[in-house]
Amino acid sequence: MRRWLLLQIGRAGLAAWAIASLVFILSRVLATGAEDVILGENSDLQARTLTVSPASQLLARQALRQRLGFTEPVFYVTRSSRDSASWHWHGTHNQYHHWLAGLLHGQLGWSYRDGQPIGPRLRAALGYTLPLTGLAAVITALGAVALGLVLASGPQAETPTGWRAGLQLLLTTLQGIPVFALALGLLFIFANPNALNLLPAYALGDNPANLEPGAYALQLIMPVLTLVLAILPEFTLPLATALHHELRTGYATTARAKGLSTSALLSKHALPNALLPLLTSFAGLLPTLLAGAVLVETVFALPGVGRLLAEAAAAHDYPVVVAGVLFTAIVRLLCLALADILYALADPRIRLAS
Amino acid sequence: MSKPRRVPSSGLTILAISWLLIIAVIGLLAPWLPLPFAPGVPDLLHVAEPPNWQAVPRHWLGTDPMGRDVLTEVVYSAQQVVILSLPAALLSALVGALAGGSAGFWGNRGWRLPLGAWLLGLALLWWLAALPGGTRMAGLLCAMALLAWWAAPRWPWVGRANWPLPLDSLFQAALTLLGAVPRLVLIITLAAGPPLSTAQLLLLLVAVAWPEPARQVRAHMLQVRELPFVEAAWAAGLPASRVWLRHALPHACRPLQTLVPLNLAGLIGLESTLAFLGVGRPPDVSSWGRLLGMLHQEPGAWWLLASAGSGLLLTLLALQRLARVATTA
Repeated sequence: MRRWLLLQIGRAGLAAWAIASLVFILSRVLATGAEDVILGENSDLQARTLTVSPASQLLARQALRQRLGFTEPVFYVTRSSRDSASWHWHGTHNQYHHWLAGLLHGQLGWSYRDGQPIGPRLRAALGYTLPLTGLAAVITALGAVALGLVLASGPQAETPTGWRAGLQLLLTTLQGIPVFALALGLLFIFANPNALNLLPAYALGDNPANLEPGAYALQLIMPVLTLVLAILPEFTLPLATALHHELRTGYATTARAKGLSTSALLSKHALPNALLPLLTSFAGLLPTLLAGAVLVETVFALPGVGRLLAEAAAAHDYPVVVAGVLFTAIVRLLCLALADILYALADPRIRLAS
Repeated sequence: MSKPRRVPSSGLTILAISWLLIIAVIGLLAPWLPLPFAPGVPDLLHVAEPPNWQAVPRHWLGTDPMGRDVLTEVVYSAQQVVILSLPAALLSALVGALAGGSAGFWGNRGWRLPLGAWLLGLALLWWLAALPGGTRMAGLLCAMALLAWWAAPRWPWVGRANWPLPLDSLFQAALTLLGAVPRLVLIITLAAGPPLSTAQLLLLLVAVAWPEPARQVRAHMLQVRELPFVEAAWAAGLPASRVWLRHALPHACRPLQTLVPLNLAGLIGLESTLAFLGVGRPPDVSSWGRLLGMLHQEPGAWWLLASAGSGLLLTLLALQRLARVATTA
């Protein structure tokens, strides 16, 4: 068991490291003009106040390259640009090594745009994202179980009838709508001066700790609602199908024969069996929540991890992007490993080794 | 579920298919349609105006906050669907079928390569990576490969020297790597550079979209491989490549008829999401997502939500419908 666990986590960590390294090297190799981006942003201000001579511009560029560490080679070995047929070994003085060493010391690097360390910023952003996604995950789990039971408790037909058919159609429709369109639609309905003006459209950008609890909760309603609506169908519809399947098995017939009501049969006997295979997919949904947070936080202007990532990508701030990818990958892979472990604990018949 | 279920209310299906055809035709013919305004040209006298069918420059669907005609933008967004999302969905299905089909058919041991092929591959790698010796070393390896190919039928120890290519492991590693991050995060990251051209974005979309069809085709191929007709093909003495391409693969591709419409819907959603975020595309490319994003600047613009939202939503729902029909058919 322990060996299998270590293997699982080790594989997850390896994949996270590989994808983050890939993104890091790609961003350093392909994005040769990062200093141009930074100088370009500054030069908008400078151009109005003073004229910059080409020589001083070159100097500024070199100083910037020095500060950002671009003068060093990207990787341990690089191909020299002059004669294409030779490789150079650079030892540990390279950008990748510094990044990796910093990572092992818990230092995620510094933002290109303002030179601030990324770790504290990521932590501050998590203060917004964790309540948002955590709340959405809990509500989705409870709502999916409730709706799944409702959908399955109808007459035993292949396709539901009456209002259950309407509910299923609604869920299928919701499944097709992109998250950002859902968020904009909610925004248009509930926070529109011309329609219902019930909820605040934008966060005030304050620390949630300083905010009154009521105002904070009010701000969270729409983002959480968007995430729940976006993810609920993906979990409810398979659960309803699984419940239907369980109701056709032998033990369900036995339970009915001894006089159990359908609701008791569903919640006591069918639900645990139907829920088990969905454990893995629920763990897979947590990272999907994180991807949804990118859009929800952009639409509702919450300064969370998703918006940090989207803004960094739009502004070519690669260290922040790489840190965000690493974080997302670790969360996703840990979730998957956790789901496997829970799966094995919940059903001992499953062979761990396979 | 022995007999195929009848698709309920096939009128909806006809409606869905005709809507998709309309979108396809509009998208293909967009440059030749008699639109009153050119795409991307602002009408600065009429900014963010609701539809007004009496005014003289007639904006049938109103204008967006930058003064562009919404009707033109909606039509050119359909063009994006036809030239970007549709080819991406088809290409990713093709890549997925080939990758998943071969990984499922040959597994880790099935595809044995002789010594000559390994040497040739090594030579190619050597040359591509420009390792020391460059062309000369690659040439030497090529010569050795030729020698091995010549010697294989003559010397038994060369003929026996073949090793399997671990196709399935390579495939799983690629899936794990691409699956480590949600696909929206991955594409935002990779598109973070300067704005991409349509071809580059197409490649990027294919790169993030192929794992899903590949996984399904592989799972299906694992079952098809064991079926009697494939065994019969082997027994008839057909070469492996023919058994794979002509007998096993067409059956293993069955899940694709459901998956391609769903994948297309996902890709249209992804493309409009990217346009909404302003990542990866130049800001003057029309997209339903970018039009919807304008709601941020003009929260009361119901005509933007109605036109772009219905365009996007109806297309996605029609594709969903198509996928369900394909499942039950």
